Amino acid sequence: MTVMGHIFYNWLSKSAFATALILLPLMHISDASAGNEPLLSPSSESLQLGEQMYRNGILPSGEPIQAFVKGDLPVPGTAFSCVSCHLRGGLGSVEGGVFTPPTSGLQLFQPFKILFKGLTQTFFPFPDRRPAYNDTTLAEVIRSGATPWGSTLNDVMPRYLLEDNDMAVLITYLKSLSARFPPGISDTTIHFASIITEDVSKEERDSMLAPLQRYINIKNSQVNSYKSSLGKKSRQMAENMMVSKELSTRKLTLSVWLLKGAQNTWHTQLEEYYRQEPVFALLGGISRSGWRPIHQFSEDNKIPCILPQTDFPVISDTDWYTLYPSKGYYQEGQAAARYLISTQEGKTDKKVVQIVRNSIEGAALSAGFEQTLRERNQPPVVTVQLQVGEKITSGFLQQIIKKENTETIILWDDTDVLTALESLSSITNKPKSVFVSARYLGDKLHKLPDNAREFTYITYPYSFAKAAVPSAMGGSILIEDESKTLVNLAQLPGHKPPETARQTSETITQLITMDLMEMRGNYYRDNFLDVLGMIPDQPSPTYARLSFGPGQRYASKGCYIVQLTRGESPVLVKKSAWVIH
Amino acid sequence: MRGSIPSNLLLFFSIILGIFHCDLSHAGTQYKRTIENYSMPDVVLVNQNGAKVRFKELMQSNKPIIVDFIFGTCTTICPVLSAGFVNLQNKIGSDSKKVHLVSISIDPENDTPMVMNEYLKRYKAKPGWDFLTGSRKDIDTVMKAFNAYIPNKMSHYPLTLMRPSGDNKWIRIFGLMSSLEFISEYQKMANK
Ligand code: HEC
Repeated sequence: MTVMGHIFYNWLSKSAFATALILLPLMHISDASAGNEPLLSPSSESLQLGEQMYRNGILPSGEPIQAFVKGDLPVPGTAFSCVSCHLRGGLGSVEGGVFTPPTSGLQLFQPFKILFKGLTQTFFPFPDRRPAYNDTTLAEVIRSGATPWGSTLNDVMPRYLLEDNDMAVLITYLKSLSARFPPGISDTTIHFASIITEDVSKEERDSMLAPLQRYINIKNSQVNSYKSSLGKKSRQMAENMMVSKELSTRKLTLSVWLLKGAQNTWHTQLEEYYRQEPVFALLGGISRSGWRPIHQFSEDNKIPCILPQTDFPVISDTDWYTLYPSKGYYQEGQAAARYLISTQEGKTDKKVVQIVRNSIEGAALSAGFEQTLRERNQPPVVTVQLQVGEKITSGFLQQIIKKENTETIILWDDTDVLTALESLSSITNKPKSVFVSARYLGDKLHKLPDNAREFTYITYPYSFAKAAVPSAMGGSILIEDESKTLVNLAQLPGHKPPETARQTSETITQLITMDLMEMRGNYYRDNFLDVLGMIPDQPSPTYARLSFGPGQRYASKGCYIVQLTRGESPVLVKKSAWVIH
Repeated sequence: MRGSIPSNLLLFFSIILGIFHCDLSHAGTQYKRTIENYSMPDVVLVNQNGAKVRFKELMQSNKPIIVDFIFGTCTTICPVLSAGFVNLQNKIGSDSKKVHLVSISIDPENDTPMVMNEYLKRYKAKPGWDFLTGSRKDIDTVMKAFNAYIPNKMSHYPLTLMRPSGDNKWIRIFGLMSSLEFISEYQKMANK
């Protein structure tokens, strides 16, 4: 139901503070022995098998787990894996009004208390305190739903009839799950870093970093003020209201990791930075070249990276640790393909020819375009590569049109687009449509030849909306982008990268504020991403709507197809919805 | 600054209130059933195969129809709602197309035909169960038509809407049914 779900649990904590109105005093219950169990180190092979059960619903034998929902026919466990409700970090969730408790070892093997006593009795079938589980009672509750306190779990939690061996593997995994704080977390600090590559201008770097640094300064000066005796009272108030006392004593740090030289040396540079400054997560970051080595570093070390500013994200359905603002150029290629399919009643019958400049932009655009056609079972596209510096002459274009008998040309190029469009507009068998990328064109967008404008379709990955309105609630109000045209082309976000960098970092501070508060001291990296996945959509002046969701890793999903009107002060006209299906 | 206390406090209370009207934790034992009249909007949505679907026409089908609102990456309640659909299809047996199950995405930007197709595969859906997406505007229109509008997918709640064949009244079920309850609701509707 909401990102605030986790607030209803308060796990045993080192120190207990007095409380206010609705909060109960939190008591320290010493049960260290049970808490130590997860620290045994089982073989990594057994942990992998357990992880496969937990995340994919697959038994060590390779068969799917059978899940029973209320004494009914079994449902494939692949659709009912633990992760789909208890989430990857195992700290649970509240969604759709259903409360899913944690299944991580530290929590299961300790008694727990629910924070809001009066409320919880009414809302959850849980007692406000439950005893610690042991291996036997845990196996029992997973098999039958029977709890050690004599009740039965509700029907949302499926029953899993696991054999003893399989159960042992699963329980071993649960014990290891979110059992130990990762590097970058201490009693007093949470460490972050931002990665910047050398190719980024000073202005852009500063614009990206400033909001993050400001946020961290404010947060830290709060912590400082709580330390003074006068501040003690306000800290207690803050703790009670922020429902995360773990935050009021921890400072945040932000290191800047500057990467230099060739991309194939980045991984080593990153490992070295990380060795010297172990960080919990990476915030923002910016690069004009590819992000792949950094992405791989995050995956290898399981370090979350939130909204790095790159137009070249790694496209993957399964990688977990990097949350990108969008798919960048790839997304534009995707939009062009989807638009073609949707306007041609599902079939691109005439051949489509893609002319691609040999560049990182060209590669990303054409990858998105080709992959989308493939996914939708369209005939393959003919691709013509242009070397760096190679000209697109009129003869070259005529030859292609004749040879391939094409009505659609995709021009993934920046240097020679204007002359190519000029040539196309003056030949007799000109194509019905030509697609170009606004981001790749940059300032040239204004200068498309007049005669080519009616057959030129432009992928435009930015919002037309003027501005987002921040709300008082720490979030912001989403305004749907209803405008049909964009008059002032100087508003094009591509014109002012530092502004985009600043806005994206502002969004990061909002996300981090909610995320850190909502983690309730459970500073585990998977939990950090799980909680982020529950955050409501955020407005973005650049990307319209940023949306999150469990496992979703590209926050902005859209890209318009637009056209330019004739004349000296042209207007952009939308030809498609923000997301084309 | 954004993390300031008063705004958090507001957020915090609004969440508690949110929980108040959404207590569905006793799944299978409590759900609210009402009979409603809805008029179906004329919008074009897209199904898991990428085909365009005229929503109004679809809803005029002679078969019994069951609608729910889910999304591809949803946790907790979507698996349970979808398990209900799977079990119903299994119960009906070979002629799964006898009843039309329609899941409508409330995360239309992420739910592309490919995402929806994979979702249905994961649940081993049989023919007769379609998953629809569309522009946010059209999806909002459909949610509103069923009096089920939510501005944000994370604040969704479990809802099942059933329309018997040859009828224009809808049975609205708010809350989570167990599969057995769902099947019995279906039979009540089918035998009508
Ligand atoms: C469809 C969602 C769903 C799935 C899938 C699921 N659970 Fe649960 N689980 C729940 C809910 C909801 C509860 C709380 C039930 C209640 O409130 O009575 C729960 C409770 C539990 C509890 C009791 C926790 C406590 O504090 O008493 C354990 C242990 C547990 N689940 C383990 C698992 C394991 C292991 C798996 C995978 C094999 C799994 N669950 C799969 C939803 C789910």
